[in-house]
Amino acid sequence: MTVIEAVNLAKVYRLAQKDPGLFGAARALVRPHHVDKVAVDGINFSVQGGETVGYIGVNGAGKSTTIKMLTGILVPTRGTVRVLGRDPHRERVANAREIGVVFGQRSQLWWDLAFIESLNLIARIYELPRPRYTLLLEQFVEMLELKELLHVPIRNMSLGQKMRAELAATLIHEPQIVYLDEPTIGLDLIVKERIRAFIRQQNREKGTTILLTTHDIGDIEELCRRVMIIDRGRLIYDGPLQTIKERFGKYREMTFETALPALEVELPAGAELVHAEDRTLHLRFDRTAISASRVASHIMNQAEVVDFSLAEPDLSMIVKQLYRGEA
Amino acid sequence: MVPSMRRYTSLYWFFLLQRFKILMEYRANFLIGASSSVIMQGAGVLAIWVVMRQVPGLNGWTLPEIWLIYGLLTLSKSLNHMFADNLWTLGQAYVRTGMFDRFLVRPINPLFHLLADRFCHDGVGNFLVGLVLVLVAAPAVEVAWTPLNILYLLIAVLSGGLIFVSLNLITSVSAFWVMNSVPVVRVVFEMHEFAKYPLSIYPRAIGLLLTLLIPYGFAAFYPASYLLGRDVPAALAWGAPLVAAVLFFIAYQVWLFGLRHYGSTGT
Amino acid sequence: MKTTLRQLRRTALVYGAYAGMVPKLFLAYSSWVWMNFIVQGVGLVIFVAFWRAIYAEQDLIGGLDLQQTLNYIILAQIFLPAVHSAGTIYYFGELLREGRVGIELLRPLDFQGANYAANLADMALGLVVQLPLAAVAWIFFRFTLPSDPLIWIAFAITLLMGNTALFFFDWILACISFYSTETWGLTVLRFGAAQFFSGALIPLVMMPEWLARLAGALPFAQALYMPVSLLSGVTPLSEAPTIWMMQLLYILGLGLLSRLVFRVSVRRVTVQGG
Repeated sequence: MTVIEAVNLAKVYRLAQKDPGLFGAARALVRPHHVDKVAVDGINFSVQGGETVGYIGVNGAGKSTTIKMLTGILVPTRGTVRVLGRDPHRERVANAREIGVVFGQRSQLWWDLAFIESLNLIARIYELPRPRYTLLLEQFVEMLELKELLHVPIRNMSLGQKMRAELAATLIHEPQIVYLDEPTIGLDLIVKERIRAFIRQQNREKGTTILLTTHDIGDIEELCRRVMIIDRGRLIYDGPLQTIKERFGKYREMTFETALPALEVELPAGAELVHAEDRTLHLRFDRTAISASRVASHIMNQAEVVDFSLAEPDLSMIVKQLYRGEA
Repeated sequence: MVPSMRRYTSLYWFFLLQRFKILMEYRANFLIGASSSVIMQGAGVLAIWVVMRQVPGLNGWTLPEIWLIYGLLTLSKSLNHMFADNLWTLGQAYVRTGMFDRFLVRPINPLFHLLADRFCHDGVGNFLVGLVLVLVAAPAVEVAWTPLNILYLLIAVLSGGLIFVSLNLITSVSAFWVMNSVPVVRVVFEMHEFAKYPLSIYPRAIGLLLTLLIPYGFAAFYPASYLLGRDVPAALAWGAPLVAAVLFFIAYQVWLFGLRHYGSTGT
Repeated sequence: MKTTLRQLRRTALVYGAYAGMVPKLFLAYSSWVWMNFIVQGVGLVIFVAFWRAIYAEQDLIGGLDLQQTLNYIILAQIFLPAVHSAGTIYYFGELLREGRVGIELLRPLDFQGANYAANLADMALGLVVQLPLAAVAWIFFRFTLPSDPLIWIAFAITLLMGNTALFFFDWILACISFYSTETWGLTVLRFGAAQFFSGALIPLVMMPEWLARLAGALPFAQALYMPVSLLSGVTPLSEAPTIWMMQLLYILGLGLLSRLVFRVSVRRVTVQGG
């Protein structure tokens, strides 16, 4: 079943342009001129129920804007979005019942209230039946290890504690779709693991659809089978995690060990040196320009190679390339 | 409609309960906050007392009659202060920080959520000052305090409160466009200062302004005049609830308009 | 001699830079300036209407006639920044919230001195910003100003000394924020008290004896009523020396006390590690 469907979805912001100086400020008062900034530029995608989708891109690529349109916070400039068959902005309240949102660093919990009080308030807002709420609370407390935190106000929690609390508060009404914006940013490995395990479990047991934006490749690799990449407002990739490597792994890395010091070795066109030590040669090459065997034979013609290896492209490398605009 | 009314009422109580838990945690702040507004109002009240004890009246109004106007206005104002103070901070504390997004992904009315999020205890001080003024004035003015008149007074105060809330709502919607909405809110809000005194002491234009455009006159002056048996047209004497309802309707439309434009400037 | 001079100049520059921050911050909030202008304009219209209605009943109140009273009130409203300039309480609260007290104390200048400089700049700027209000008030209500330069000089001295005394008083009050976490209420509390006791609403001479004495004892009136009553002629010039003696005592007493209170209360933060 399709739960999210975006067709030609676009968002254009109108920014008031301010010229510097007093004169500019005065002119802006009389005749403000605006600049259109296209944040999301006509994207199409659909998400099936129970999918876990990683949504990645650099800051300002349009990730947050997309999420805000999907959640009903922003009205799209063009195109349509349907979430569970509804227009999320026009039927905001009905949509809100079915979704949960974690906005990275911004807590949805009441700063000065003890965590349990915040949860009770949320249970009221979502009109959760008492027995169900009690049951879920018990489960969440165990899975996220929240027992000691229940009576602590949010303001006194550490970052990791806050995020665990946040997740519990976001999922307590058993939303069908959960949007997670940077859920593990700034957390240590153990907390990250716990949070990922929790998300995985919710997805497996309840069929919760997860849309995750993150800069953390670990999140993607451990949680998402499908990845969407947005760049300057356009979707440049939408597919399984596996094929991303084939498509975007433009650069491969190769390491040679030579019998004699090989600092003078000349590299073939399309390859460049990453690092060289007296008997090790670490280089990378553009696989669209030159094949691996050509690189290897080029080096082997010049020096005695004891051993060599070709590195498997990993996602973090690919993402780094993408972010640098090398895709 | 009715079940949702019931739901929101019970939800409001729950919000209020949580708020009191926080306030009780910071008891000193609660006391300072509540008494701060008493002192603020007290300064104005004391000044009037100091001056008016030396003269027989103000433009034909005796001191207790002035207290009645002043008290009614302060009561109306306190309703706004207690229940709708968060409108002031919409821009600074919610829109700018992105906290407002929160309200939009919850299955309740965002305006309700905004108002319920913070009951403002400072307003309690205003409420007490207004109540004391009206209670001091009541036996000293020539009004027969029949149940009907008391009901009239209650309706006047509630309507006045709604007028305050509506005007603040209209101006605070500017927070969806400009960085800081407080100056806009404050400038319109401050017009209520006129309405603490009989409107008859001002040039005619001001009286018209406070009746037609920024109708704070309906919060205190017209109801008090009617009760005190002054010559007031029926429309002005009985207009308060209607004016308040229409104004709130307009304000809510402005709010909805603002919501549609929320976020259009990007963050 | 030369080195002390250079030293002095450098010190002046450092404090000057500190004070110079204020106008920059202020201009960043130009919409607040317009807001204050309108809010105070509304206040003036109310005052004038109120006093005209009052004087319709009686010619003299507290020995003043309508013109004298209006003159006094309008001037008091124009010079209001003298009592409301110090944002010390709020500033302390900000420092505490952001945990910056320690850092501020480490700067190579006297913390209180720097704040005093900022306070003076704040008042000066506050008064400059009042010019449009003064102009509008003059056009519509025609207040009068003295022509005797001696009165102006006496006024300036009294204003400066009164503001200094009030600064120390505020400093002591601000130290409360080391104990309570909320400063907004405290600021409003102080604002309300200042509003009445400074003589911004009514001249002290109209108050009943006991109230006038209370207002005279609090430092708010030093910063507003004393200078403005000199300027508007409510208080004769001959009383100026007496006022200055009094203000000097305030400055000495409150100044010493403020440093003592600060030293005691700041320990609370630095020891506990705010």
